[in-house]
Amino acid sequence: MSSLLDWPAPTATAALTLRRGAARVLIDNRAGISTVPSRTLYPHQWSWDSAFIAIGLRHLSVRRAQQELESLLAGQWADGRIPHIVFNPAVPHDAYFPSPDFWQSSRAGRAAGAPTAPETSGIVQPPVHALAAWLVHQADPRESRRRGFLARAYPRLAAWHDYLLTRRDLGGGGLAAVVHPWEPGMDNSPCWDQALQRIEPAAPAAFQRADLNHGHPSDRPTDLDYGRYVRLATDYREADYDDRALRHGFAMEDPCFNALLIVSERALAAMAHNLGLDDTPHIRRADELTQQLVARLWDDDAGLFRVLDLNTHSLVAERSVTGLIPLVVPGLPHGIVQRLQESLGGPHFKAASTGLVPSYDLTGHAFDSQRYWRGPAWFNTAWLIYRGLRTHRLKTDAERLRQGFLAEAERSQFAEYVDPATGAGRGARHFSWTAALALDLLCADLKEPMP
Amino acid sequence: MSRNLRKPWPPSSIAQRAGYDAIELRGKGDLHFAARLDELKQAGKDGVVMPTVCVDMLHFFGAFDADLRRDAIDQMKSQLTVIAEIGGLGAQTPASYGMFSRRLPPFEPPRTEEEDREVLLAGLSELGEHARKEGVTLFLEPLNRYEDHMVNRLEQAAELIRQIGLDSIRIGIDSYHMNIEESDPAAAILAHADVIGHAQVSDSNRFQPGAGHLDWPAWLGALHTIGYDGYLAAECRLTGDPIEAVRSIPAFLQRSGA
Repeated sequence: MSSLLDWPAPTATAALTLRRGAARVLIDNRAGISTVPSRTLYPHQWSWDSAFIAIGLRHLSVRRAQQELESLLAGQWADGRIPHIVFNPAVPHDAYFPSPDFWQSSRAGRAAGAPTAPETSGIVQPPVHALAAWLVHQADPRESRRRGFLARAYPRLAAWHDYLLTRRDLGGGGLAAVVHPWEPGMDNSPCWDQALQRIEPAAPAAFQRADLNHGHPSDRPTDLDYGRYVRLATDYREADYDDRALRHGFAMEDPCFNALLIVSERALAAMAHNLGLDDTPHIRRADELTQQLVARLWDDDAGLFRVLDLNTHSLVAERSVTGLIPLVVPGLPHGIVQRLQESLGGPHFKAASTGLVPSYDLTGHAFDSQRYWRGPAWFNTAWLIYRGLRTHRLKTDAERLRQGFLAEAERSQFAEYVDPATGAGRGARHFSWTAALALDLLCADLKEPMP
Repeated sequence: MSRNLRKPWPPSSIAQRAGYDAIELRGKGDLHFAARLDELKQAGKDGVVMPTVCVDMLHFFGAFDADLRRDAIDQMKSQLTVIAEIGGLGAQTPASYGMFSRRLPPFEPPRTEEEDREVLLAGLSELGEHARKEGVTLFLEPLNRYEDHMVNRLEQAAELIRQIGLDSIRIGIDSYHMNIEESDPAAAILAHADVIGHAQVSDSNRFQPGAGHLDWPAWLGALHTIGYDGYLAAECRLTGDPIEAVRSIPAFLQRSGA
């Protein structure tokens, strides 16, 4: 099709046309019982992608939304980690790098409890899954109960959080650390630049990138950075993915990652309550995490949260969208909410022409409107900030962001990300989470209770 | 999904009270359907909405036997004429039903695939041309592998229809057969959106929607995304109390996203 939104009925309202287009992307991108982020660039199942996809799919088919999460959880390791990629065995190894023969999960991950099948990666992505599972349940509680969805998902999601709060509490302060720039999901953010400088890159001959076959080199990370990514992953693999055996060369406490952990911990509390289990451990944990997030990562001078580098014990002096996403945490001190709102409307993050939120400081030294996570605006971060604005009853700002989201999603044909100033689409088109979250903004009940 | 009622029904109608917008007729052979023309016209005057007829015979335009084939085509042409006369949209037929299955002994049909294709293209061309003249549509229904050996999936029906190139032939999809034959029913609806003209609904077990395990929101959601605004015709057996079963269908489909 030449244009996704040109058919079937040009006379339909804009909202209906967009809803149809978003649903079509999700149907088109389904492969078996899960959804690929993009038919061209990402041919397997990605962890946080699937969580966002499930949040949209629940408006199309609750069963598909449940299966999306169940399929991801089938790749969970016995130590609780949910891998960032679950590989589709039908896709050739050279379609994506790093491929299953790089991660070698069923061999190198055996001691950590990787499944014998499917093959997975060994690193993780932000824990948005319990939030997604709860939203999927709420979309049709009767179907959820009929399939035993919560009863099956809850213990697995609780084990996932246990992993993050024990094995990944590398700083000892109660927050979860990420050990690879791919883990916080914002792969190429300037927040990782300094820490990456300390990493010896793998030799270019040691790997063959596949992301450049479809992605434009000017959008993607440089070869040198890619060599460092490979080095970190190789070191982790050679330590059998044992977080206790390896002194991680890269260990960061990321605001977005931990904010999602808090929101998901509250979702676990809601699930426990629904299942007749004790919800107090989850509520207590969410409260403690919130206190630690503020104590360890809040920068009052800058008016946003910072990444903490555990190897230098210092906050990273970069302004990134990751520092605004804790707005999604309920019960944040009022003063912090106010500062975050100001930062969103200030010179560092206000992209007036699109209304979306850039991934990095518009005035920052490393700003690049096209390169991956160094400036472009993503739709999942906009959705999270929209949710945060609503959580804190900032309805006018929330509605403005919602309108910006829907306009740019339509204009860019559900692009992976856009230039924050011009709205020009970048990366993949017909990107699953962009479509899914557009569907959620179009269909979700605004009175839906927050976990 | 279903259209609004265009005329008031007799207030005593069970169908109307249950939320049905229209009735799909059954068309028997021996020109029985044509013999009912006066009765059908009177029903129309009384407010009964009858947009489609589904063939109810034991031989079809894809029959092995040339005489049966000829008769099936004549019967279908008559049904298309009658449905046009009462202001309907079209008539639905499979290529064959109960004649041969490659999944059951003796496994190999007496005709080659090439010969099947010639027969299907000839029959569809004649019926499509007749439908065009009458201003209605012939709906070709793919059946599952145990009921027909020639047209099982949407892509097979779509290929024949595109080959002939007449707007007066469209696919009449059926959720029950799609559940058996399509690897992803929702994706199949999207892939052949341009040639889908009618839809019949029954659940995975051939009972009324809601009595089986089909993913109705996904199937109906796919029809929504292609802008399908035709009828959903219940073609199913009933389980449980038959009146309650009939009553349950419109509400169930609406709850599932229709």
